[in-house]
Amino acid sequence: MRSYMKKPVGMLKFKKAADVGLTYALLILVGIIFVFPCLWLVLASFSKTGSLYSFDGFFPPDYSLDSFKTLFTDTAMYNYPQWFLNTLLVASMSCIIGTLLVILTAYTISRFEFKARKPLMKITLVLGMFPSFMGMTAVYILMTQFNMINNHWGLILIYSAGAPMGYLVQKGFFDTIPNSIYEAARIDGATNARVFCKITLPLSKPIIVYTALTSFAWPWSDFILPKLLLKERDMYTTAVGLMSLPETEFARFAAGAIFIAVPIVVLYFCLIKYMINGMTAGAVKQ
Amino acid sequence: MKIKTIALATCLVMLFCLAALAVTACDFSDLRQFYSTETFTKFDGEIERNVTIRVLENDTAISVGYFDELLDAFNEAYAEYGITAVDANMDSYTDLALDGPFGYGPDVLYQANDVLMEFAADKHVLPLPAEEMECYQYIPEAAWDAYEANIEGGIYTCGVPVNIQAPMLYYRKDLLPEDWETTYDDNANGIPDMVESWNALYRYSQKIRSETPDKYGYMKSLSDSYFALGYLFSYGGYVFGDNNTNARDIGIAAGQAEIGARIIQQLASVMNMETVDDSITLNSYSRLGDGTYFATMTTPDVYTMFIREMEADYTRRGYSASEAAAMAEENLVMTDVPTLPVNGDLEDDDAEQMGMTVMGGVNGYAISSYTKAPKACLAFVEFATSYEMVMLRNEYLGIAPARSDVAAELGGLSERLFEKLDAGEIVVMPSISAVGQLWDPLATMFGDIAEDAFRDEPKYPTLEALKRELQDTADGIYSAIFTLQ
Repeated sequence: MRSYMKKPVGMLKFKKAADVGLTYALLILVGIIFVFPCLWLVLASFSKTGSLYSFDGFFPPDYSLDSFKTLFTDTAMYNYPQWFLNTLLVASMSCIIGTLLVILTAYTISRFEFKARKPLMKITLVLGMFPSFMGMTAVYILMTQFNMINNHWGLILIYSAGAPMGYLVQKGFFDTIPNSIYEAARIDGATNARVFCKITLPLSKPIIVYTALTSFAWPWSDFILPKLLLKERDMYTTAVGLMSLPETEFARFAAGAIFIAVPIVVLYFCLIKYMINGMTAGAVKQ
Repeated sequence: MKIKTIALATCLVMLFCLAALAVTACDFSDLRQFYSTETFTKFDGEIERNVTIRVLENDTAISVGYFDELLDAFNEAYAEYGITAVDANMDSYTDLALDGPFGYGPDVLYQANDVLMEFAADKHVLPLPAEEMECYQYIPEAAWDAYEANIEGGIYTCGVPVNIQAPMLYYRKDLLPEDWETTYDDNANGIPDMVESWNALYRYSQKIRSETPDKYGYMKSLSDSYFALGYLFSYGGYVFGDNNTNARDIGIAAGQAEIGARIIQQLASVMNMETVDDSITLNSYSRLGDGTYFATMTTPDVYTMFIREMEADYTRRGYSASEAAAMAEENLVMTDVPTLPVNGDLEDDDAEQMGMTVMGGVNGYAISSYTKAPKACLAFVEFATSYEMVMLRNEYLGIAPARSDVAAELGGLSERLFEKLDAGEIVVMPSISAVGQLWDPLATMFGDIAEDAFRDEPKYPTLEALKRELQDTADGIYSAIFTLQ
């Protein structure tokens, strides 16, 4: 008969405490590493002189709210409020149209069997592997021909049209909705459109919120495409506008960068519950 | 299998059709226009009527209100033709090569000569009938040369000079010794010796360092080639031969350029290790502002940066905002760079002095090759480079004008810069594409030479060693330019 030696309770407690302590220490360290640049940017936005060069070591020597004030009042050269509105327009419209297209694409691929279904899925998967900026020159030339340079709708068109390429997460969600619900609806005489609107959509709140948020966040912070397509200063989005600020306006840049992050952070915190449900729903194996 | 093949073939055909449609839909005919003697006919005949031209101006000119004045004056003068000039409302570093061909670029651009001449090399800006312009006779040849391009065998002038950019010495008047008029004004001309000659500035920097180790006299990044090249130029060095147009002749080791390199070593000895990188460039505004540095050298366009930092420092010390502003204006002095010793020895207090040759630039106007109204654009350039407008530009921006009549009227520093350009003491930055291969090797070399002041065993202890290093760098730059060709 084998005998097992019992470990003392104190030893186990110590091991557990050490394990938890180490984990927390590591998490705090990683947290600091990630938070520090943001903290620095926040402090820089309150710099009194406004110049990056005046920092005494890593932090500004004097603080004030001037940068935030000038951000919204000194608009002759750098019209931040206008840039903000432009960004809001592009992101909102891209969000609405893009979400609609993604949900429709994912639902179609998930629910309907048709011959091109598999090839379509493969093609989108392969195309998704190429970086989006690869086609920038072609996009620019095409947009000049459609007269959509310096036009926010040109951006909205590209963001919205490109959104359905990332339908896989949404498809995963729709796959988890039991088929029996659809079959019951069909037996009751519901059409495809009615099934989608009355049954699928109410069940899909989490994934719709997740899709809307990601469709909003991309144009909200994108730089490359707006930089390519928007030429006039008053048409700039915030990302392009902030990048056009001279080096002497660093505090204004920091203040603008902080301010642009506020709406998206608030949205994330308000809708985090739906987001997590949306992201994880399709991942559960049954 | 058969259905699959048909489907695949259909897809390919559709893709091909789509691509063909896209390509044929694009009208590339305007992408490139070629220079020839006929290009000048664009400026012949009656001026266009009822057109709007977009002008890209310097950001500072816009922010201080000069540009609005210029536009209003021009639009009023040309109202009878229905010509309206408007702000292009674009980033000042807009890429004419990308946007111009598709009609989105500005019609008239205001830029530094090296930027404009890059566009000229690729024919994105029009050659101008410079000699027929009113300002031609007033602008020195050196400034016009900066806008000359040799394209397919023809020499074209592709821009009109407006103002001269050159390094200036900035110093704090309140940091001068109280008795400077008796102890630091040997020639009794009312100007402190330490801002008149590099020898005196070097000695004064040594004094400051020995008395207050946390303070500095003259501080400047010596690896910044734009400023450091001046020391080589002053002793016979040059960048490219044939008036900066022949990249096969790299002359940074020419003449007695090694003497200039030794001056860099000597200056480094009164600074610290930050001089071998760009740290000083980054923090010189605040360091001069809080009195850590007595003097530095940079371009006139950053004057307000120093003022802002000085105001902040005075405010920190308890002065009101208006007092701080007045004190900053009073105590910051921007002046011409000091003179250099002919023998190149900063330690020799009795050395004969000579003017320092520096690298500079000429900012000016050019006209886009893609403009639909070249004659209206030329009228705008004529108007903006007239005596009245250049004078107004100086009032608003404090620029050093390229026009001799304006410089003479203004006198002082403006006239001095004009004279220096005319006398060849300002070497205009080369406008040829090979200039891109200069900066990194030069910065490494200047940094290495400056670092010698901090080495236990100097790497370049003699003038011969310095000469060899200059020649090696010149050879390296030559290889970088021509190896891949």
